[in-house]
Amino acid sequence: MPETDVIPEPALDSAASVTGTGKPVSVTRLRKTYGGVTAVDEVSMEIAAGEFVTFLGSSGSGKTTTLMMIAGFCEPDAGSIVVGGRDVTRLAPQKRGLGFVFQQYLLFPHMTVWDNVAFPLQLRGVSKAEQRRRVGETLEMAGLSAMARRRPRELSGGQQQRVALCRALVYRPPVILMDEPLGALDKKLRDQLQTEIKRIQRELGLTVIYVTHDQEEALVLSDRIAVMRDGRIDQFDTPQELFERPRTPFVADFLGAANFLPGRLEKQTADHTVVRLDTGGLVTARPQAAADGTRVRAAVQPGRLVLCPPGDGFCTGTVETVTYVGTLVRVTVRPVQGADTELVRLELPAGRAPALGERVGLTADPANVSVFPDVLPDAEQGG
Amino acid sequence: MAVLAPVSGSAAPVPRKKRLGRVLSERRTRFGLLNAAPVVVYLLILFVYPIFSTLMLSLKAENGGFTLHWYADAFRGANLEILLTTLRISAETSLLALVVGFALASAISRLKPLWAGLAMLVVVVPHFISALVRTYGWIILLGDNGVVNNLLTALHFPGAPFQLLYNEIGVVIGTTAVMLPYTVLLLYAVMKGIDRRLLAAAAGMGAGRITIFRRVYVPLVAPGLVNAGVLSFILCLGYYLTPALMGGEKQTMVASLIDEQVMKQNQWNGASALGIILLLLTFAGLLLLRLLKSAGEALRKRGEAS
Repeated sequence: MPETDVIPEPALDSAASVTGTGKPVSVTRLRKTYGGVTAVDEVSMEIAAGEFVTFLGSSGSGKTTTLMMIAGFCEPDAGSIVVGGRDVTRLAPQKRGLGFVFQQYLLFPHMTVWDNVAFPLQLRGVSKAEQRRRVGETLEMAGLSAMARRRPRELSGGQQQRVALCRALVYRPPVILMDEPLGALDKKLRDQLQTEIKRIQRELGLTVIYVTHDQEEALVLSDRIAVMRDGRIDQFDTPQELFERPRTPFVADFLGAANFLPGRLEKQTADHTVVRLDTGGLVTARPQAAADGTRVRAAVQPGRLVLCPPGDGFCTGTVETVTYVGTLVRVTVRPVQGADTELVRLELPAGRAPALGERVGLTADPANVSVFPDVLPDAEQGG
Repeated sequence: MAVLAPVSGSAAPVPRKKRLGRVLSERRTRFGLLNAAPVVVYLLILFVYPIFSTLMLSLKAENGGFTLHWYADAFRGANLEILLTTLRISAETSLLALVVGFALASAISRLKPLWAGLAMLVVVVPHFISALVRTYGWIILLGDNGVVNNLLTALHFPGAPFQLLYNEIGVVIGTTAVMLPYTVLLLYAVMKGIDRRLLAAAAGMGAGRITIFRRVYVPLVAPGLVNAGVLSFILCLGYYLTPALMGGEKQTMVASLIDEQVMKQNQWNGASALGIILLLLTFAGLLLLRLLKSAGEALRKRGEAS
């Protein structure tokens, strides 16, 4: 079909799926303000070809605005976007050749499933036979072959989102942008589609930029996660790094719902920092550049706390609640000293649960304790 | 009650005699019939009876017997020409009203709510003004020394002044103006219902403006286009005032012919036949609507197969 706007089709053969079709994306000092409010503030990042990157943040963190600027649906006030070596900052969305999956599916209601998936191929002037082959293959991969003749409204939410995924995959765009694609689905379906998205992304070597507010989803899917807050990237790292070495209290709280134990920095060495907690104990943590005597918070994830005999650890307290969550048990401990301190939350293997009211000591590997200057993490209200 | 029985019959699935009796004996049915009675009586007196008597009149010979003479008359000579003129002008009007209405509605649907409301008012308010006044307004605008021609002459537009009145151009301009509120309202409602993010999604996949318009926007508006087109065609078929005042001899439409037959020739039978023909044409229009819709379905089905 001759179209006025044929997009150059990347040379594609069967080998392409092996070598990977993804291209790198580079974002430099991107900025966007809406009526005086800065939605995205100097965001810069380098995304490698074939990488799965997630923008994680609560609503209003600028994650979707950043994605929309990469997509071209929203023009940045400043900064540049380079996809596969080509500067696309001022390019219309249709000239960028990217793929999209939206939360609301946005399938064309007047077309069948087959036509929806064939549409981007028709735009690219792909021959009828080739269309048939590729649409067939893609639907097959998503387990939708039986639905090809149906209209989108005749499908369930999960099926519709799969069609949307097919429509984005079928023309093998170098980068696929996904805006909370699983947000409208129930938990079970979400888990299943997460696995599928991840598998397809790996198999085809696609570059995927994914937006979500669900930290679990981000951890499962991503090679790297950009944790966003107030239009900035707090930390852009692998899930493991984010989890184990959060650079800001916000990241520690948002990803792991960390315990923040207030105290005073007592001593620093090359390998670790020692903090005198307000509850009296001494906790050893990873090194942190701060002057001795300053107010700090020691952050430790609930899953990284270990029980020990009372008096041995950095904190002693009584067990207040014990909640079983499958193979895990969530325990809260009230520190003995310092009556007004917050409860400490733990996650332990189900077999190691203490009894209610039991006196326990708490300890943790210094490598799992981070120290932050004492500013309240903003996420405490909502994250 | 006997008169009302058919109504309940249509409501009951496969009304066999026994079942009908049972349905009629139910208290709910009787209560429903009682409620429906005023409407049924109203329709019988004001719609069924007049149409039926018009039909009888159109089939009555001068000696009182049955004849198809009046219909044959309607399809002969000058009368046939008038019938064809009516169809042609109606087609031209609905086409123009669709094109202009599409442009207007699509522009309005993109305005902010406040401006859209104002624009809608501008489109609809003329409809509340007497058709006679509006038509004379057009005559002032389009006359040989009217605003339009004076402006074009002042601008040295080649060929100006144009003959814009008492010909087909005049009639079509006038009737289009009458039909426009309908097409704009119908199309606007459909366009407002379109998720504009679908257009953005198409753009994201690489579709240009023309392709998005042709492959996404127009198909989504299509049901509204068919409805608006057929509606303005049907409304135009029986339209009297504007063609009579703004047209010439050659633009006589069926409504004018009926008027002449009744008022000048006292020829009620012929006029009745013409009226019935108009009614049948209206039904044909509605049938066309159905056919177009199912044809659209079939076309899509075939599209899927390829």
